[in-house]
Parts: sequence; C-alpha cells; structure tokens
Amino acid sequence: MAARTRSEDSGSGTHTLGLLYPPAGRGREYTTMQLAFVGGVAEAATTHGYDLLLSPGHTHEDPSFLRMVGDRRVDGVIVMEIRREDDRVERLAEEGFPFVAIGRNHRADVSGWVDLDFAGLAGGCVQHLADLGHTRIAFVNRSEQLFNSGYGFARLGDEGYTETMKKLLLTPRAYLCGDDLASGEEAVERILQDDPATTSLVTQNEAALEGVYRGLTRHGRSVPRDFSVVGVSAGPWAEQVNPPLTAAEIPAKEMSRVAVELMMQRLRSPDAPPRHVLLKPLITLRASTGRCRPVPGSEPEPEFPDFDLNF
Amino acid sequence: MATFDQGIGHCGWSVDVATVTVGLDGIVTGWSEGARRLLGHGAPEVVGRAAADLLHDREAPEVAGLSRTGSQEWSGTAALRHRDGHRVEATLHAQPSLDGDDTPQGFVVTVTTGPAESEHDRRMVEWAFSQASIALSTHTPASGSWHRNAAAEGGEEPTDADEDFLRCVRRVAEEATPMRYERLAPETPAPVPASARHRAWIIELWPVRNPATGEVVGVGTAAFDSSDQHSARQRLALLQEAGTSIGTTLNVTRTAQELADLAVPRLADFASVDLLDSVLRGEEPVPGPVDAAVVLRRVAHQSSAEGVPEAAIDLGGTDTYPPFSPPVRCLTSGQPVLSGADDPDFAQWIAGHETRTARVEEYGFHSVMATPLRARGSTLGVAVFVRAEGSPPFEQDDLILAEELAGRAAVGVDNARRYTRERTNALTLQRSLLPRDLPKQAAVEVAYRYLPAGTGAGVGGDWFDVVPLSGTRVALVVGDVVGHGIHASATMGRLRTAVRTLADVDLPPDELLTHLDDLVVHLSSDKEDIAPDEPYLVTGEIGATCLYAVYDPVSRVCTFASAGHVPPAVLLPDGTASVVDLTPGPLLGVGGLPFECTELELPEGSLLAFCTDGLVEARDRDIGLGLDRLCETLAGPVPSPSLEVTCDTILKALLPDSPADDVALLLARTRALHADQVAAWSLPSDPAIVADARAQASRQLAVWGLEDASFVTELVVSELVTNAIRYGAVPIGLRLIRDRTLICEVSDASNTAPHLRRARTYDEGGRGLHMVAQLTQGWGTRQTPMGKTIWAEQTLPVG
Repeated sequence: MAARTRSEDSGSGTHTLGLLYPPAGRGREYTTMQLAFVGGVAEAATTHGYDLLLSPGHTHEDPSFLRMVGDRRVDGVIVMEIRREDDRVERLAEEGFPFVAIGRNHRADVSGWVDLDFAGLAGGCVQHLADLGHTRIAFVNRSEQLFNSGYGFARLGDEGYTETMKKLLLTPRAYLCGDDLASGEEAVERILQDDPATTSLVTQNEAALEGVYRGLTRHGRSVPRDFSVVGVSAGPWAEQVNPPLTAAEIPAKEMSRVAVELMMQRLRSPDAPPRHVLLKPLITLRASTGRCRPVPGSEPEPEFPDFDLNF
Repeated sequence: MATFDQGIGHCGWSVDVATVTVGLDGIVTGWSEGARRLLGHGAPEVVGRAAADLLHDREAPEVAGLSRTGSQEWSGTAALRHRDGHRVEATLHAQPSLDGDDTPQGFVVTVTTGPAESEHDRRMVEWAFSQASIALSTHTPASGSWHRNAAAEGGEEPTDADEDFLRCVRRVAEEATPMRYERLAPETPAPVPASARHRAWIIELWPVRNPATGEVVGVGTAAFDSSDQHSARQRLALLQEAGTSIGTTLNVTRTAQELADLAVPRLADFASVDLLDSVLRGEEPVPGPVDAAVVLRRVAHQSSAEGVPEAAIDLGGTDTYPPFSPPVRCLTSGQPVLSGADDPDFAQWIAGHETRTARVEEYGFHSVMATPLRARGSTLGVAVFVRAEGSPPFEQDDLILAEELAGRAAVGVDNARRYTRERTNALTLQRSLLPRDLPKQAAVEVAYRYLPAGTGAGVGGDWFDVVPLSGTRVALVVGDVVGHGIHASATMGRLRTAVRTLADVDLPPDELLTHLDDLVVHLSSDKEDIAPDEPYLVTGEIGATCLYAVYDPVSRVCTFASAGHVPPAVLLPDGTASVVDLTPGPLLGVGGLPFECTELELPEGSLLAFCTDGLVEARDRDIGLGLDRLCETLAGPVPSPSLEVTCDTILKALLPDSPADDVALLLARTRALHADQVAAWSLPSDPAIVADARAQASRQLAVWGLEDASFVTELVVSELVTNAIRYGAVPIGLRLIRDRTLICEVSDASNTAPHLRRARTYDEGGRGLHMVAQLTQGWGTRQTPMGKTIWAEQTLPVG
C-alpha cells in the first residue's frame, strides 16, 4: 500500500534503490561475480536516474536491512544470491515492499525475478559435446552441501544434464564435487575409474576447474585433444585457465540490467503482475572442447574394405 | 762545300782529280795515283808513252772544246780510254810547267771527270743550300759546330738546345746510319687552346762521310713540315680511341658523355650532346627529318674548364632550337654543318638566346660544327663542337672527323636506347606483376624487398605476395620461377595470379599447391606445342618453387606448405631464431606427388622471414649455410623495431656483392587478436536458438560499442545461423571478430557450400544470401577440415 502512495505522488520518492547482497564469504573477500553484479546494478540504476544503497545482509534480522526497509530509505530493493526459500524475500513480501530478485524464489507471485536457465545451460553443454561427437559425458556439480541446501542452480543443473542425456539416449553420470582444487582432481579420479572411456565432462563448479584439469593431465588426457571440458562459469574465470574454458557465461551485467529494468516497471505500474526473466546465454567457444577422438585402445581399429581388385 | 752521298761507291756527284805531266813532245813523263785510279793504268805502263794513246779514239783530241787559253794554257774535254777499254769523259786542264827562263818544259795536265766543276757551280750549290725552302743544316761533331740555312735559322725546328735531337744527331754520327726524327712544336702555355693544331716536323738525318776515307765527318739534316701528316694521324688515333671509349656501357647518358669527353680538348674546346626527348625514354625515335623548331635535351657536355662554365643549357635541361640554327639544320639535312661567327644564321641563333649570347661573347666562340646523331635510319639528336678564341676555326677535315665520331656515338646511343627499352619493358612487366602496395590487413606487419639480378642476367622470376583471407587470416606467399628474363617474369605473373585466385577460394595450403602444381604441368605441356624456333621460349618443363603459408591471428597458428622452396626462418619474441622445419615437397610441375602441411603455433610478435634462394644461396656457400646466417642475422644483437631496417640489415648481411640471381625477401611480424576482439559461441541445431544467437551477437556489439552495426549483424546472424541449422550439420558455431572490419562467421560440419541463387517472386527461400551480400562488404565461404565456414564482412561504423 505504501508503495502505491509513493508512486501516486510521482517524482517525490527517494530515487534510490537498495541492493541486498550477502556479506563476504570465507576469506572475507567478494568474488568477481558478486562485484560484477553490484557494479552492474549500480550502472543500470544510474541510467534510470536512481542511486544505489548497498546493504550486505544475509537475513531479515540484519540491522542494515531493517533500516533500509523500515525507514523506507529506498523506493525498491533488489535482492541478490537468493535461496529458494529466503526469509528476506518473505519479509519484503509481507511488508509489500517493491522488490526484484536475482534468482528464482517461492514468492514469484509478488516479485519479479531474473535468473539463468541452469537446466537449459547444462543441457546446452551436453548438446555441444554431443554435437562434437562425444557420447560419454560426465557432469561435475557443486558440493554436496550446496546441493542439499537451497541453492537452486545445483539441482537445476543436475536436472538439465540428466534430462538432456536421457533425451540423447546417453547414460548420465553426475558427480558432486567440493568447491576446491583437490576435490576437482578427486572427481576426475572417480569419473575415469567408473568409465575409463569417458571423453568429456560438463561442469558448473568453476572453483574445482583447475583441479579437474590437473586430474586429467595426471591421467594423460590432454585438453582438448583427447578430453573436452565445457562449463558454466563467469567470463574472466573461464579465460584465466589454460586452455581457456568453453563455457556458458553467467551474464552478470545483463542480469543486473534486467533486474533494474524489472524494478523500474514495478515502480511504474505496481499492479501489473510480476515478470520473470529466464536467461539462457550461449556457450562461448574457447579452447577446451574438440571433436571426440576415441580413447586409444578402447575401440577396435577400423578395417579397410577389401575392394578385391583384379588386374 | 758539302758532298751529298747517300751510298757508297763512285757515281753521280763524285769528283776525281788526276794529275799527269806531259812533255812537250806529248810523251807522258809523270803519272799520279789519282790518274791510276781514274784510268786504271799504273805509272810504269804509261810513262814514256804518247799521251795521245790514252785518248779513246786515238784521233786528234776533240779540239772543239780544247782551246788554248792564254799563252800555253788550254783546257777542254776529251774522251779518254780506261785500261779496261771503257770510255771516260774528262775535262783536261793543261798548264805549262815552266823552268827558270819561263820556257815551257812540259805540261801539267789536270784531268777531272764529272761535270764541269767550276767556281760558279760551287757557288750555285752554296746558294741553293742557303736559300732552300726546307730547313737544312750540317753538323760537325768534331768541332760541335752547326751550319744552317736560312729556313733552318728562322723556323721552329730543333736547335742544339733540344736534348733529344742532339742525342739523335750523336747516334747518327756514331752509328753512321741515317735516321728520322720527329718533333712537335713545344706546348705553348695558355691562352692558346689545346685544340689549336700542333706543328710537327720530320727531320731526316744522315751521316756525311769523306768519300776518300769513308770516315764520318759530319751529319746532315733536312727538316720537313709534317703538320698535316701529324694531324691526320692524330685524327686517326682519335677515331681509334672512339672505337674503344664510346659505347662502353648500355647507358644513353653515359655514351653521350663519352663522346663529349673524347672530343674535348682534342677536337673542340667545348662539346655538347643533345638528344630528342623520346630517345631518353627509350622510345622509338621518329624517323625522317625534322623541320620545325626542335626541342632537345642536354645529355652531356664537356669543356676544358672545370664545371663546364661555357654551357648555356644545364645537364638535363631542354631548349628549343630554331629551324635556322646549325643544330636543327644538321638534323634537317642529316649532314654535318660547319658554321661560325661569319655565318648570319649562327649570329641570329646566338642573338636569339640571352645566355648563349653571353657565353659566346665571354669565351669567344667563333667556329661551330653540328653533326646529327643518326643510327639505323633514325635521328637521335645532335652533337655540337665549338672552338673558342685562340683556336683555329674548324676545317673540312674536322667536319669529317666530327661526323665519324658522331656516327659511332649514335650507334652506341641507339644500342643503349634499345637496351633501355628492353630492360624497361622487362622491369615494367615484372613490377606490374609484383605487388606494389601490399593489401592492408591486420594479421601481420610486413616489409619486403625485391632486387633484380645484376645487369647481366636481368629480371627474374622471383615473387612474393600477401593475400588477406577471410576471418582476418592472411596468406604469405613466396615463389621462384627458374630462369631469367621476360619469359621467367611472365611465368611468375601467371603463377602469382593463380595463387591469388586459389587463395581467394580459401584453399588450405597443401591443396592450393596441388592446384598450382596442376597448373604448372598444364603450362609446361602448352609450351611444347609452340614452334621450337621461338628462341625466347624455353620449351618443356617450367621449374618453379613456392612456399604458401596461412597465418590465423585468432589461433596464432601458421600453416605452411612448400613446393621445393627455401624454408622460412622464424624469430620468436624470446630472441631465438630457427629455420622452420618443413617437409620440402616436390617442385611445381613434377605432378602427382603430395604436398604436406606443417602447423606452427607462434607467440604474438614472432617474425617470419621468407626469401628466395638468391638470398641464401651463393657461389661460395650452400643453402644451409645461408639459412644459418639468416637466422644469425635475425637474432642479431640489436633487434630492430622497424621491419624495414631489418630488411636492409638482412640484405646487407647476406647479399653477395654482385647477386647472380634475383632476390625476394618478405618479412612478417605476427599479430594476435586478443580474446576481447573475438567472440565465439556454440549453437545447438535448434531453430529456437536463432533468436538467442541474434541477441547474443547484439549484446557483444554493445560491449564493443558497435551498436550501429547491430541491425545488419543481427540480420546476417539470423540468415547464416538459420541456413546452418536448416542445411548444415552439427556442431554449429558463430563467431564475431572485431578487427579492421567486423566479421561474422558461421561454421558447421557440412561441406556443402551455399550458392547465391536467384529467388523467384514467390520463392520462400533463396533471398537470404542475397541480402547478406547486399548488406555487407563481402561474404564468402571456406572449407575447413571439419566442414565449412561462411563469413560476412562489414566495415566498422565510423567513430
């Protein structure tokens, strides 16, 4: 209701948007991805004539969150890094405070959101490998802990992968993997142990990527000559590894822009049903995928036809 | 006074005197040695006999001439008889021999033979000597005295001051043999110009003997003016020298200068050579006479003074000559023209030109010869010879000499002109066949050199090329057709065109060489049909080598294929240089043998050096050594930032002094396209993806700040991706390259290439590529090992 009054006397608002994002994680440092979102939102807001108020809050009890919402210091809030069931979203919905989420959530009835089509992305990765002739494609997911907690993309990715593999009549083999180097190496170990003829994998665990590469090298698999790796990752990360990772990029800037635009629409017409945008970026070709070449010794040598020539 | 005796023996001028005494009774009473010599009788045979017995005819003496002179004296001629019977004409002079009483006791008869030797005669000889028109003198070595006649005293012939002459005189006296001495008038210092005619003498010297003893007692000399003979000889020498010194090179200007240099100072004080402008350009001169005013270009001039201050026209300058001027008159008539200050035409010509007037006045030019330079029926120009103050005017003889000299020079100039034309043609052909400005492309920075072989061998068949390919790739080509001359150049031109065409089709290097090989095989078999008497066509095989490399700045991979060519050298950014290890491949024209590709990933900033064998192979070293040296030079102590400088350094280090073969050198420093200039995506074969692809391309353009290009790009992406999904095979890829242009590429795994077809009015399809072709700067397709790529290129929006 308050929101409506605000938009009726149009132009009298604070012309400020709030951005709720989780505080820095382990190591007290923000990831490039998080900073890209923050920058993207600020940039997009500026183009609409809005300023940005930042609030690192993880729960609805966070004092900064309370100040922002309770004192109505902002016209609307963009919430980042959402879990499926997030009390921040719950609280905002209760308050009737205009908000847009970056990430799907259960209050889609009251809020707009923008998200990546993780299932579609994982499926796209499988498709890309299949186009290159790969049939034995493994999937390296995020950690078990994340998978079990509310983070949607781990589950969605798994679903997308499995579904596409089935559609292609291939056997899905998904692996959970910790967000670190050693886990990556260990995941490769398990994959090749289960099926030594594996020629490719899809990963959405960029933290373990370096480890995956190391594991492959240790097993004498050279990327992309005899093993292809494709992932879902932020752009800079994919380019920093060697060979650069062919990956669907998380378009942080694009998502931020869409989030701000959804917010603007929400402020303009509060009664319109909330819009939901699902982005499915293309897979950017880099150097980690190639045509499938059979693992040496795994297949019989093709025999040349005997033309039975008589001279 | 003087006896002139050139030989030995008694004849002609010799005079013998015999004395005989005869008694009053006509009996010989005394007989002298002279008489014995004269008549052969010894004294015992004659004394006591009648003198009349000695007469030839035994008759009374021919009294006719025998007259008594004075009282008892008489003289006359008589024919006496020699002992052997022959007749001796003698003059007798009888004088009575008186005793104390003035009574004659007998007669002393003096018998002389030969013409009457009178005092008168002797004086005649003396006068003749002193008044002779030729310079005569005698020298007596014993006393060292000279006796000269008037001509000798007044003339300029040698005196006792001339050491050479005196030496000669002494030799004549000592060796008693006649000699000839030639002498030129001493060089007189300026202002007499050197071209003034030399005076010369020939001096005959002979020994003078005493006829009685045969002893050399003196030397006689006679001097003749031989100036004419001398100058004729000088002219002959000049002509002789003209044969060797005019036309030493096949250079028009040089030949003209040789003529001028030769003529001064020996023929003229100033000489100039002016040619029709067309001759200098190597064109065929207009045959026949010229009648109007003529424009001539000064090609050479010479004078005895430093810097040729006499010239009214600077070298290389032109002047218009009026029809009446001696140069044009000689051109018109084809005959040499002798003119001078006394010729009104000359005066008019000079008066009509300010500088000429000044020069003529300053240097006193008074005599001019203009001779046409004509060779093989056409007129090339004119040579003008001038004499200045102090030199005698030209004579008819000089005109002939000038004509002769000009004739020789004209042949030389004409040869040079023809050669110039041939060489210009060949070089023009070659230059037109070699790239002048290499096409702009961003993949590599290039510098190149082409050096024809030395003058002997002429142009050759080396070539190089840089061909931009789709997707910012670039083809680097270097090749060599064996042989020299127009033939090699022409073959080179055909091969280069073929390579360009094949490169444009975007064939991989090995396939391209296979096609080129086929072409050479066809060319070789064509030639066998040509008449074998065509001397300039080499029948049979064409020997050619070629190296073809494609560099892709996105992948930084360079793919090489070689047909028997010298391998390239590469300098990596870390400073190590090496020869690229290639499969050499067969020569072009062998046919049937495969070519192999070699791939090499090059770090950004690598320097590739392509060359032909002319650079690395020389008489004194083989190719391996040459390549080693090339590598050493590339990795030299101070790597130069400029490729041009590196080019020069390499040529300096490797090129032999007189290259026997032509040389092509192509340097290419690789660039790389960075990740932020290239974006590539994989597309599933799903028509729904087209929109995503379009959106993705559009977003990428926004990142690059190329929003203006998004309309066309989206359209191109739609068309090409739709085609790939509809007709192609997976995997499908989309790539955008932002370089000098914006390139959009869609690749798929199918090898079927699209064709532009003409869509009919109600056709649903068939318009896509037309649209792409219309909207973009260019489009094309290339085969890849894994299918094909279709590309379209747009110019970047300005600003």
